Amino acid sequence: MLVWFLPLFLLFLMIGLPVFFGMLAAPGILLWLNGQERDLILLYRNIYNGMASFPLMAIPFFMLAGELMNRGGITMRLVEFSQAMMGHFRGGLAHVNVLSSMLFAGLSGSAVADTSALGSMLIPAMEKEGYTRKFAAAITAASSVIGPIIPPSGIMIIYAYVMGESVAALFLAGIIPGILVGVGLMIMVKFMADKYDFPASRTKASWGERGDASLKAFFPLMTPVIILGGILGGVFTPTEAAAVAVGYAILIGMFVLNTLKIKDLPDVFMRAAMTSATVLLLVGAAMAFKTVVSLSHTPEILAEFVLGLSENPLILLFLINLLLFVVGMFLDAGPAIIILGPILGPIFVDLGVDPIHFAIIMSVNLTVGLATPPMGLVLFVASSVSGERVETISKAILPFLAVEIVVIFLITFIPEISMTIPRLTGFAD
Amino acid sequence: MAILLWLLKPLEVVLDIVLRFGRWIAVAAIGLMVCAILLQVFCRYVLGNALPWPEELAIFLMLWMTAAIAPSAYRRGGFVALEILSSALPKRGAAVLALVLLLISGMVLYIGAQMGLSEMSGLAGKFKSASLKYPTPDGWVKMPNSWQIGSLVVGLWMLFIVNIELILRNFITLAGGEDRLRPAFDAELTAE
Repeated sequence: MLVWFLPLFLLFLMIGLPVFFGMLAAPGILLWLNGQERDLILLYRNIYNGMASFPLMAIPFFMLAGELMNRGGITMRLVEFSQAMMGHFRGGLAHVNVLSSMLFAGLSGSAVADTSALGSMLIPAMEKEGYTRKFAAAITAASSVIGPIIPPSGIMIIYAYVMGESVAALFLAGIIPGILVGVGLMIMVKFMADKYDFPASRTKASWGERGDASLKAFFPLMTPVIILGGILGGVFTPTEAAAVAVGYAILIGMFVLNTLKIKDLPDVFMRAAMTSATVLLLVGAAMAFKTVVSLSHTPEILAEFVLGLSENPLILLFLINLLLFVVGMFLDAGPAIIILGPILGPIFVDLGVDPIHFAIIMSVNLTVGLATPPMGLVLFVASSVSGERVETISKAILPFLAVEIVVIFLITFIPEISMTIPRLTGFAD
Repeated sequence: MAILLWLLKPLEVVLDIVLRFGRWIAVAAIGLMVCAILLQVFCRYVLGNALPWPEELAIFLMLWMTAAIAPSAYRRGGFVALEILSSALPKRGAAVLALVLLLISGMVLYIGAQMGLSEMSGLAGKFKSASLKYPTPDGWVKMPNSWQIGSLVVGLWMLFIVNIELILRNFITLAGGEDRLRPAFDAELTAE
């Protein structure tokens, strides 16, 4: 009977109950109906124990670091750097948009932050150069999904924590897939630029200008080096690396770039704390949810059903990609990972899929979902930043989504794309 | 309607004050968390002396940060939910659905908060922290775990009270008094 908590949870989700309450109400009701009232306290204890975790603290810290860098004008330096490198190509500003997203991804790990920070700067600039507003908004939204794929990444920290994987391994596994999405988008931009005669945004920068732009962007670009270098070198834990990133962002914002003021800090801290609090509560609820997933033997029952469809892992991965893609259309990546990770992860690990590989498939697929109509969050952010209707952006983004779907399938069926770096660095077998 | 408004107004005022205080606690907590972890890294690498307490202090602060600011996030609709059904329903239908959802949420919060109280006063709350201490006239004393467990209890009770406010607002909407409600919860946040 307990297994009915899953349909009940889905029902709650569909009628609009916040995920946090749904994750507790559905298992709670079923435990009560099953006469297991005494196990209800397990739910409470698992929320608390799930939240009282040191590794989880990396989430508020990375969110804070991203907010600080955004407020400190670091985005501007990244765009200038990208423009010096790629602005002279046909469709230059569209390329700059994608490259800036790849660089921004190394700082923030949030697609929403990427869309609002880069969009507010680049969408008006692209319009001024003759791009349509819908195209500018679409490429901004499409490229922003690189944010949570290239490390640091909030959703990968959540996945690693909920599923007991190594944060460092997931960070490393996300590097090539993130670059692949960026390169794929640039190829599509080039194709469209040739077809629709997009303008180049500037003449080719001289080496002096490039050097100058690189110097200005040097400190922001060092952030991912410090984070990843510190973690891989065994100097910091991921949580400590995140705290160091916060300290570094404050230092360069206040003392190097002089763009961040002390009076800005309370507002930045409050925003980061508020976003983090909702995520932390969700993770706590996920740990409680996971307990009931185990008690109810849901993974075993689902595994039986899934294996009834096919025993070929490749076909099952294809089907699971379809499922994730549909889920990603309606649900934010973080909550989707929290809900589906404990259910789907064990099934595919039993089928022989490496847990890190599966984590990347889930993360990339659900992250791309952030830019898919009808409910993709970044579409709404791009709409509010650009003033273009969501429906219009949804149509304009389709060529870029096609690229991202191709990348998802490449990542799914060529595990080496995500596994090579973790294996080379000893973080995976 | 008049009774509902009479109940809602003082609750709004009290929550405005308490939640603003909570947000400032959260700002202080996240700032102190960063300081604690940076101090830990500094002491380990520069002074060669790993401190035992920063990690535990940072967890304590993170839990209180979450408890202090989550009610503000809930009040402004910051908890993730699918809104496909409610946006497809007519206004009145959406308000009825919202009321049902708020009642389910309230039930979860009430049961959770009750459990939290029993956990706090139970065995788990009586254990002492491994490294966190507080000063007394007789010297430093180890902090009881109930101080940390209390964070989630306070958070759940505050969420429950915000939920009551949301229910009252919903009843007023259903009674046709939407125009007499304060326009947006964000007003008190953006004013800061």
